[in-house]
Amino acid sequence: MLAPSGAEESAGGFGYPAPGSYRLDHIFRAPQGIVLEGSRFPHLLSSYTKGAITLLSFFYTSCVDPQGCPLAWEAFEEVRAAAIARSDLRGRLRLVFLSLDPARDKPGTLAAFSRAYESGSDSARWHFLTTYSDFFLRPLLHNFGEEIALDRAASAAGAPVFNHLLKVFLIDHEGDVREIYSNQSLDVSAILGDIETLLMEAGMRKD
Amino acid sequence: MQTNVAGRLAAAIVAACLGAVAPLARADETCLSPYMAALIKGQEAYLHVWALGEKGIGDESDKLVTIDVDPKSKTYGKPIDKISVGGQGEAHHMGFTDDRKYLWAGRLDDSKIFIFDVGTDPAHPKLVRTIDDLPEKTGYVGPHTFYAIPGRMVIGALSNTTHDGVTGLAVYNNQGEFLSAHPIPAENGGDGYGYDIAINPKKNVMLTSSFTGWDNYMRDLGGLVQDAEAMQNFGNTMVLWNLKSMEPEKVLAVPGAPLEIRWSLKDGDDWAITATALTSKLWLVRRDAKGDWGAKEVGTIGDPAKIPLPVDISISADAKTLWVNTFMDGKTHLFDISDPEHPTQIYEKTTGKQVNMISQSWDGKRVYITSSLLANWDKKGADNEQVLRAYDWDGKDLNLKFEIDFFKEQLGRPHHMKFSAAADKASP
Repeated sequence: MLAPSGAEESAGGFGYPAPGSYRLDHIFRAPQGIVLEGSRFPHLLSSYTKGAITLLSFFYTSCVDPQGCPLAWEAFEEVRAAAIARSDLRGRLRLVFLSLDPARDKPGTLAAFSRAYESGSDSARWHFLTTYSDFFLRPLLHNFGEEIALDRAASAAGAPVFNHLLKVFLIDHEGDVREIYSNQSLDVSAILGDIETLLMEAGMRKD
Repeated sequence: MQTNVAGRLAAAIVAACLGAVAPLARADETCLSPYMAALIKGQEAYLHVWALGEKGIGDESDKLVTIDVDPKSKTYGKPIDKISVGGQGEAHHMGFTDDRKYLWAGRLDDSKIFIFDVGTDPAHPKLVRTIDDLPEKTGYVGPHTFYAIPGRMVIGALSNTTHDGVTGLAVYNNQGEFLSAHPIPAENGGDGYGYDIAINPKKNVMLTSSFTGWDNYMRDLGGLVQDAEAMQNFGNTMVLWNLKSMEPEKVLAVPGAPLEIRWSLKDGDDWAITATALTSKLWLVRRDAKGDWGAKEVGTIGDPAKIPLPVDISISADAKTLWVNTFMDGKTHLFDISDPEHPTQIYEKTTGKQVNMISQSWDGKRVYITSSLLANWDKKGADNEQVLRAYDWDGKDLNLKFEIDFFKEQLGRPHHMKFSAAADKASP
């Protein structure tokens, strides 16, 4: 088991508490919506936020924010690697990236990313989702509390640049958001501890 | 092979991101939550002031007043908007949500919390929700500190429904729904009092301070200070919490009502500083040589024998200086805290007959001061001036740029202040 310690404990911080020894609030219910994966066939977002523990973040393929997409990407890679390595997480964790830029991030474009992560997908499948248009995206952003703004000056030279606050949402089996990580708190040790806590809460963790 | 493809795709995205400008803030204008978005590093456009209603002044209601503070504007230094919320409930402090779109403002008497939309049009905020279930949900009253964490607001309360002051923290989601309560330890060295909250996310540490209960903060100050028994009922502790579990880890003895807490914003630093209201001292919270967290007295503010009553403090972005307002003598002090173990006062100016809150811009060039502490603690008669004063700081002196007489403008008693930038009309 990967014991979370993190938080620079050796440098004087408080280590993360043992999984299951603390409670994660039910912050809000993950919103409803229509998303696309691999084709223009519509899917309910709830099919990606229920039935397994889900780690979800917004992203876009032309992202130019070093405090955003790369941080989330790196964290997802590490969580995915842990899920592949650990039998107690197998099949119980889902990773979701949802595009902020439906005009450019078409289902076909994102399918390449899905294919790239097919290996190990039985342990923790990584879904790359988009929407038909901003009309479908905006309610999802609003209901997740994800504020974005087009940076017109930075976008003038080419691809659009969206200023957005990095948020990674940890969602339980029932579809409730139980933790939100920002660029200040996106620590893989904390994420894994929270995942274990949710598994223990659901009586699903194998020691 | 697939791993290689994934690596190339990831690398391509990372490469595309190099050299970009981060839109996020490590911290806000020197004293807000480190989770806050949209740091204003340039000129702030608006100053929101949470003002206490006053009998015989205007509509007598508590209100959010918005001031134009852009020197290039035709209405610079003028109130441009006000929203009355009804009644006098001891308006006190405010805090932005993590996306800086909403401003939560609390009242210490009736425990109501007002949520204003300041993101859509910061020149003209809108009241969008009122929360009135804090006492019912938690047993706490007096919502004081509003400290944003991702998607949520941590609220530090001052008292409880029996008004003796044993209190705690409440967590609400950004929609205004109650999530959980976390009592401040009242045993094993704890005294149960609450005041400010400040988080060091990289250390998984949250720090709280302590003041007094409703029975004291709603009482006339003149009578209170003559009541020796009541004067015993002030906080003498700070608490270090495990942020992830929201459980207290260690109680620190800090006598004399430690109030505002400021973590150093300098990369690599892991210390916080506070001022004690009753003993007029600066206290430092940091780890010792063994790595244990502790608190120690490091400085004196004014003449403690005269009880100058230090109230608000404001740390510079580089953690080299600290502004301190002392309410009773109306002075604004500047300390050199480049060595936080040995703060040294380097400047002092009388900025009013009574001064309380102080806010500085990120670059430290602008400083704003308001006058009101608590309705029943403010001075009486001619000394009860109620003003906002805006200064430029040139490194040597505070130079008055404008002032607004809140009584003359029929606005009430000005208390807490928050900045907004001009509205960004861009949208995806």
